[in-house]
Amino acid sequence: MKRGELGAFLRQAAAEVPPARGLIPLLALLTVWQLLAPGPSAYFPAPFEWWSAAVLLWDSGQLLPAFAATVTTFVEGLAVAVAIGVGLGVAIGTSRPVERALGPLLEFMRAIPAPVTVPIATLLLGYDVTMKLTVVALSAIWPILLNTSSAAARVEPLLFDVARTFRLSTADWIRQIVVPSIVPFILLGIRVAIPLAIVVTLLVEMLTSLPGIGALMIQAQRNFQSAQVYALLVVVGLFGFVVNDLFAIIEAIVLRRWPARGAFRSS
Amino acid sequence: MTVGRFSGRLSWRPNIAGLVTMAVCGLVWETAIQIGILHYQYLPAPSAIVLGAGELAASGELVAATLHTLESVFLGWAIAVAAGVSFGLLLGSSPLLRRYSMATIEVLRPMPAIAFVPVALLLFGFSIQTELMVIILPSLWPVLINTMGGLMGVHARLGDVGRTFRLSRAAILYKVFVPAATPAIMVGVRISLTLAVVLAVLAEMVGNPEGLGYAVVSQQQALRPDLMFVYVAVIGLLGLALNALLVGVVSASFPAASAELKGPRS
Repeated sequence: MKRGELGAFLRQAAAEVPPARGLIPLLALLTVWQLLAPGPSAYFPAPFEWWSAAVLLWDSGQLLPAFAATVTTFVEGLAVAVAIGVGLGVAIGTSRPVERALGPLLEFMRAIPAPVTVPIATLLLGYDVTMKLTVVALSAIWPILLNTSSAAARVEPLLFDVARTFRLSTADWIRQIVVPSIVPFILLGIRVAIPLAIVVTLLVEMLTSLPGIGALMIQAQRNFQSAQVYALLVVVGLFGFVVNDLFAIIEAIVLRRWPARGAFRSS
Repeated sequence: MTVGRFSGRLSWRPNIAGLVTMAVCGLVWETAIQIGILHYQYLPAPSAIVLGAGELAASGELVAATLHTLESVFLGWAIAVAAGVSFGLLLGSSPLLRRYSMATIEVLRPMPAIAFVPVALLLFGFSIQTELMVIILPSLWPVLINTMGGLMGVHARLGDVGRTFRLSRAAILYKVFVPAATPAIMVGVRISLTLAVVLAVLAEMVGNPEGLGYAVVSQQQALRPDLMFVYVAVIGLLGLALNALLVGVVSASFPAASAELKGPRS
């Protein structure tokens, strides 16, 4: 990438970020909250109380390990889902009979909401880290698998003739024809899978008390530590926000290399 | 949440190969358990699940749980759609409001749905209010964003036409912009319904101990995997049925919107 090009890319990316004055409603809400309820409360503790609660959690050495456990599970689960989802998706999508045979089964499996996989997995696999990882990967896999296979199934047929005409090897065929056609859809699948993976990671921790932010949240709620509950809500919210934005950046960079074509729309 | 019809093709031809695959999988599962190849202590055979379904249907538990979940889904979804469309119309028609609130929305929107559960429990205890809060807040966003985006995507010239006819601002919004944005709004409405089903189940698992979500967890704790799988299957079917119903209703009432709904993903 040339320097001028990078500059233009960054300027364009910055232009899409909404202006910071849009944060005024949020800040106003928090200020009013602080002014109306300046102290601790069982229901609406003041925002400054959240901060002290977060500091206390950090000092007691609970926050960082819990956060690390949650992030690790999320990242590993998503990575497994991407690897399996893309692999299976390409295998299924490139063969019309296989796609037709497996279609209804996969649709049915996908219709089962991700949270429900947690009790199933606890029953079959027991309470441990493997179970946690399996559940997260299993819930994140469907959007990736289905978007990949549908993209692979809809590669422009003319391109296959081109590949045959040029006598491309299998490796070249994958690299030059299949990959550019499906990359935008893989990204789309991952974008849909990210919030699912976060939710399921936290849910496993809440239901099984395996270490993590989810377990910390439910524990704070059970002890009626309202300030801690709000503090952890902010932590989780920030995590969601950062992951979302980080992926948007990755997506923008990858899409520059393999731009979306044809019927692809992002919403 | 993606709701892509598999590979985006809609055909009314029965997919024999697909149905055979499902039947074979079920048969292999059944025989593997009967012969004892599968060693999971708590994996029930499909036949046991079918028997369990009969047991639950006869006792009325299945119907009661399904009704509770359906009620929460519809209530939460209706509120989310009403609020989402209202805010979406406001934001879509006022660039000033957008400038002064988009950043707030972008900060709040990626908030993981489940993070609201402890806060809702704190405020409302184990109750339907907790469940509704967990359903409404996250399923509001798809409607709001799609309504706003739909309005912004309407060609400005249509507004000029409205002004030429000396329509008031409100009339231009309702007679020109809203109809033109309806397909986009319907996409948001559908995503939000799918989301509401998942959120209701989620809220019942950790928040409000009622309905299908709670039934799954309690059967797991009671070590009745056969009954648990019945509830899991019912939840899956419920999601498919609601989605099909909505697509049907929307296609019948807004023909222009149906093409969008059946698109490759949403």
